Amino acid sequence: MKRTGIVFDERYLLHKTGPYHPEVPERLTAIREGLEQEGLREKLIPVPAVPADLKWILAVHTAEYVKRFEAACRTGKQMFDSPDNQMCAQTYEVALLAVGGILEACRGVMEGRLDNAFCAVRPPGHHAEVSRAMGFCYFNNVAIAARYIQKQFGINRVGIVDFDVHHGNGTQHIFDDDPTVYYYSIHQHPSFAYPGTGREFEYGRGDGYGFTKNSPVLPGQGDEDYRRLLERDLFPTFADFKPEVIIVSAGFDGHRDDDMSDTKISTEFYTWMMRKIVELADTHSGGRIVSVLEGGYCLHRLPELARHHVETLLNG
Amino acid sequence: MFVSRSMTRRVATVGPEATIFEIQALMSEKRIRHVPVVEKDNKLVGIVSDRDLRSALPFRYFQEGIRPEEKAKLQGLRAKDIMTRKVFTISPGYTIQDALLMIQNSKVGALPVVDDDGRLRGILSVRDLLRAFINVLGIGQPGTLLCILVEEKVGQLKKIVDAITDMGVSFGSVLVARYWEEDKRAVFPYLLTQNVAHVKKRLQEMGYTLLDPMQWYLDQLPEEDRPADKPKH
Repeated sequence: MKRTGIVFDERYLLHKTGPYHPEVPERLTAIREGLEQEGLREKLIPVPAVPADLKWILAVHTAEYVKRFEAACRTGKQMFDSPDNQMCAQTYEVALLAVGGILEACRGVMEGRLDNAFCAVRPPGHHAEVSRAMGFCYFNNVAIAARYIQKQFGINRVGIVDFDVHHGNGTQHIFDDDPTVYYYSIHQHPSFAYPGTGREFEYGRGDGYGFTKNSPVLPGQGDEDYRRLLERDLFPTFADFKPEVIIVSAGFDGHRDDDMSDTKISTEFYTWMMRKIVELADTHSGGRIVSVLEGGYCLHRLPELARHHVETLLNG
Repeated sequence: MFVSRSMTRRVATVGPEATIFEIQALMSEKRIRHVPVVEKDNKLVGIVSDRDLRSALPFRYFQEGIRPEEKAKLQGLRAKDIMTRKVFTISPGYTIQDALLMIQNSKVGALPVVDDDGRLRGILSVRDLLRAFINVLGIGQPGTLLCILVEEKVGQLKKIVDAITDMGVSFGSVLVARYWEEDKRAVFPYLLTQNVAHVKKRLQEMGYTLLDPMQWYLDQLPEEDRPADKPKH
């Protein structure tokens, strides 16, 4: 059994998004419920969440953006940059706390106290651009984590696997010209899903060309199509790239019961996919994985999805 | 909407006496496939396309190259010898729709834009039209496309737009296309949001059919090229 850290903080429930919004605190209570089944929680090592040091946020976002976000929150705005980004007075603090929890998990893994970790945080991050909030996201959690790992621990190659059903435009753009961070994403085809990027011919720019890979999935496709694409696009590229640590943008919204997508992934397939990522990390990355929650909106499926995800981190 | 707003203004041109090698160098430097030929005062007298060039040069020129004496002979070929003299042109006041139909009918890749005095003002290529339509489709902005099947009768679009607007969702674009069935239209709203699940639910509650994304289409192929498996509803 591995030493798996868990980031979960009651304060993550304080970010409220208003009516008709799927990114709700209940997502996290559903995940907590899953982690409490079968005594799973006792096997996990709790990682405390502290607000992130701003210098790490600024390793990805502009100072102007961070200031604007804080001011919007402080002055009681209910929306930031886009109607998708509904917020409340606590959103800024919660977003800082989400990053803070993730960075603590990264530290645990990089210092060898943990083998891997799952960060059940809100708000999510992968749509957030350098200076623009988008698609329920404010700070790009995984991008900040990648920069933190590189700068604080002298790591060269970081691999990001994003299996949220939506393309992580923010993460891709942040590392577009960076050959030290490999961004791989598998998601519903951009002509049929938000945000409209992540096409198969996007490979990165400049020095980063060839360090971005996208596998679009068509509406109605499911386990077998995902399996084929991962085998073709992810496994060989990561075997070549040999990331020293793998960060996962874990979104569960491609599940067949999740109404945010038209893809048909089963619970069992999510487990299979995660097992393969664990194998990749065991082979190339000293087992180091930091998995960060992105989307996933089916409150009935989230408990089992989170439980299997974490069990896979624990047991391979 | 007017050609003058979408055309390329800084056109690479040559005079009638330019050699084919000069034209070829210009095309590869600027990465263009059409070079208008002008006389003094920018009067358009012809156009040279990359196809005109290819027909004038021996095939070997593009492979292993040609011998100096052969090149010297070809040096004598000028723009005026290989250019198309009867040029399809448009005026700056034409619309993008005019240009689309003209390009489709004439089967050329670019239309020089010429004013009433016959002076070259710009050029409008298939590339410019593509850019305009990428803009119209709204695919440069983050959003989600839906496809709703509606009866062809007055007021359908209003109901859809009102319902979506009431949910606080903005539109990037709305396309309406003909459907296979005579009395139906396919409406494609491009919504600037990730949060579409409740929009879809509301539309279905209103009695609309959301078309299976795998059956979406934006194009109507000529009859003989249509797929055999027309969607059935």
